[in-house]
Amino acid sequence: MIAYIVRRLISTIPVMAVVGIFVFMLLHLSPGDPAAIIAGDNASIENIAAIRSRLGLDRPLWVQFLEWVWNTLRGDLGISIFSNLPVTTLMLQRAEPTIALSFTTLVVAVSIAVTIGVLAAWKAGSLLDRAVMAFAVMGFSVPVFVVGYLLVFVFAMQLRWLPVQGYTPIAEGLAPWLHHLVLPSIALGLAYVALIARITRASMLEVLAEDYIRTANAKGVATGPMLLKHALKNAAVPIVTVIGIGVALLIGGVVITESVFNIPGVGRLVVDAIARRDYPIIQGVMVIFAGVYVLVNLAVDMIYTFLDPRIRY
Amino acid sequence: MKTSRRKLLQGAAAIAAAGLAAPHITRAYAQGARQARFVPHGDLRVLDPIWTTANMSAYHGAMIYDTLFGYDGNLQPQPQMVGRSNLSDDKLTYTFELRNGLKWHDGSAVTSADCVASLRRWAVKDGAGQHMMQRVKDIAAGDDKTLKIVLKEPYGLVLEALAKTSTPLCYMMKKEVAETDPNTQITKHIGSGPFKFVEGEYRPGSRVVYERNPDYVPRDEPASGIAGGKRVYLDRVIWDIIPDAQTAMAALMSGEIEFFEIPPLDLIDQLKSAPGVKLEVLNQLGNVGYGRLNHLHPPFNNVNARKAALYAINQEDILRVGVGNPAYYKVCGAHFTCGSPMEVNDGAEFLSMPMPQRQEKAKAFLKESGYDGRPVVVLQATDINFMNQAALVIAQSLRQIGMNVQLAASDWGGVVTRRSVKNPPDQGGWNIFITWGGGTATSSPINLFAHSAVGQNAWFGWPDNPLHEQLRNEWALAPTLEARKDVIHRMQKNMYDYVHDIKLGQWVGPVAYRGDRLKGILPVPEVIPWWNVQRIG
Repeated sequence: MIAYIVRRLISTIPVMAVVGIFVFMLLHLSPGDPAAIIAGDNASIENIAAIRSRLGLDRPLWVQFLEWVWNTLRGDLGISIFSNLPVTTLMLQRAEPTIALSFTTLVVAVSIAVTIGVLAAWKAGSLLDRAVMAFAVMGFSVPVFVVGYLLVFVFAMQLRWLPVQGYTPIAEGLAPWLHHLVLPSIALGLAYVALIARITRASMLEVLAEDYIRTANAKGVATGPMLLKHALKNAAVPIVTVIGIGVALLIGGVVITESVFNIPGVGRLVVDAIARRDYPIIQGVMVIFAGVYVLVNLAVDMIYTFLDPRIRY
Repeated sequence: MKTSRRKLLQGAAAIAAAGLAAPHITRAYAQGARQARFVPHGDLRVLDPIWTTANMSAYHGAMIYDTLFGYDGNLQPQPQMVGRSNLSDDKLTYTFELRNGLKWHDGSAVTSADCVASLRRWAVKDGAGQHMMQRVKDIAAGDDKTLKIVLKEPYGLVLEALAKTSTPLCYMMKKEVAETDPNTQITKHIGSGPFKFVEGEYRPGSRVVYERNPDYVPRDEPASGIAGGKRVYLDRVIWDIIPDAQTAMAALMSGEIEFFEIPPLDLIDQLKSAPGVKLEVLNQLGNVGYGRLNHLHPPFNNVNARKAALYAINQEDILRVGVGNPAYYKVCGAHFTCGSPMEVNDGAEFLSMPMPQRQEKAKAFLKESGYDGRPVVVLQATDINFMNQAALVIAQSLRQIGMNVQLAASDWGGVVTRRSVKNPPDQGGWNIFITWGGGTATSSPINLFAHSAVGQNAWFGWPDNPLHEQLRNEWALAPTLEARKDVIHRMQKNMYDYVHDIKLGQWVGPVAYRGDRLKGILPVPEVIPWWNVQRIG
């Protein structure tokens, strides 16, 4: 197992290298000049050139790339061109809201999705099953920002139960923290719920048709233990897989959700950075996101061994 | 006592419900007296208001820095940090004496040496400063409170340059900070202005916090523009950066914020009917849109082609789709801002011609130019509504007179890069891009670099019009407002004959704020002043 983990970690190196090259080249070869944006609308070409020179953006691309790679390997993601703050500082400032939003979304989505997916499979063909599947289709079809605005309109502006926007750090108390995360988590989690619920239902249906479930039923095992201990555990591998794959969906959704609910997270950081061509931030966040995604998939592979003892690496 | 699983769950639910209700108390406290939450139009990315001309940095500057002079509400320069000032009889030496009691936020006294260094740094970056410095022989500190500007020749715009509200404003900084290279960002943010920057709470892209400067000594006069007594009634001003306009509007309506700087005009009707929300146009001169023509390459290196575009493009069409609500825009023929002291109508008579007639004239001009059907590249910033819409209308207008127009779509960042390319349009260059300027900035032939016409050294588009430059100098040296206006008549006539660029109209945007919580917001062009603002609810 440890050898497998080491092999997998080593295999992430070429993946990260490709990500790094791709991100760097995409950014630097696409139109857009941070020096021109900094200088402002009233600036002369000389002024822009002077700023570009100060920022080192007039050096050959390969020199800039090697410097970035070398600094990144040393854990230095660079300095934001605009705010003059280290990228790691900016990311750490923004990490908590994004992690919190992802965590609450994951918890809410997995809890709801697995429950309704199991119920739908158990009552396959019933009204409940159809309702769950209709909900799943809706969850996929309605964009995150539409759900977000609707939730804000109903729960923040009409009922005034929850805030419209913003984020309160967990250090200021669990209740205010949760209070600000309820609506964003629901908005972001809806598509995730739909995805996991559908896979849970499909996987459970397959397992519920197995002989050993019929045997368990014949032996008089109660419905609850039969569904949760006998069926769900054996249906869990594809569910965990889709949860892992869904992290990419979550990362994409975080960017939109953070904008709609004004959550100062990493998603908004990178969107703002793209608009103004703040290369060090974009590069740093992309590499971190890619790394997170690779590690989540590694974790999913590890979880398989706990769920299914037959799986060995 | 037996504790069942059901009871435990009920208890947990009760705790969670109580906890979720608690933040209402927290929020009510946070929104208490002497604090205001403000959603500006953008993010404060750069804390050096000289290094960049970004408006957000100018706003930041107005909070923590002060200026030697400032425009009052009538756009007249008034002393601000300066107590007494004097112009010598030969009109060559300005002497400024600083007011008593001026202190930096670290407690040290403001000295004339600080101001000399600040002036020098600002003048490198600012168009008006550069123009002034060409006539300056020396800027020197006398004693700790006195500084002199010695001119080579009489120059009538010294006070205007020092007082202007368009970015970069001439903010005073500590000497050690002001000696930073103008092309390098400053790293210390110590001003002498009415608010202090709370660096520990600064979250780029999210939040900026200012606290009242208890040591600030306001002038005795009432506050007016960026001049007069800057009395601070708020303990804290928090800038919440909310990029989504819909979210900001909902936050204002639900009372989570007090001030939303630029509500989208299509949401104004909703805000009008919201309880407690007040709409007000603070910047009466608003913005002036223009289509910038590239004078280096065909077809617009030919004056007749430029005239063809001038006649073909209808401001009303652009404003209707780009701004929308006619209450907030107007067709304007003045090159130096409608509503400003420099508004004249010379050369703009064609604007009242019916469009079919204008199009016929445009076609005639185009024919006369010898246009060969080559593609005309219009840069289209698709992420900024006005620019996006204006590019589409311009493209269609030019197609109607027979031009072969190609739209080059990108985001604004892409346009900003491409507009500086001097190559021909088919080699990465361009023919037209759309932009706008603040009405105050465009009202001065000197302050706005885009008004220069010095060929390769001019602003993007690079017009080369020596007569215009001669008239700009004449304007700068004119001793009175009347004399300046006399020059403006000739300058504008010449600009229309030469066609520097194409004006796309003028518009204003109201700010939206909680009138049931704030009062005393001053109408200042291009800066949002937080002094004089009082919390009433």
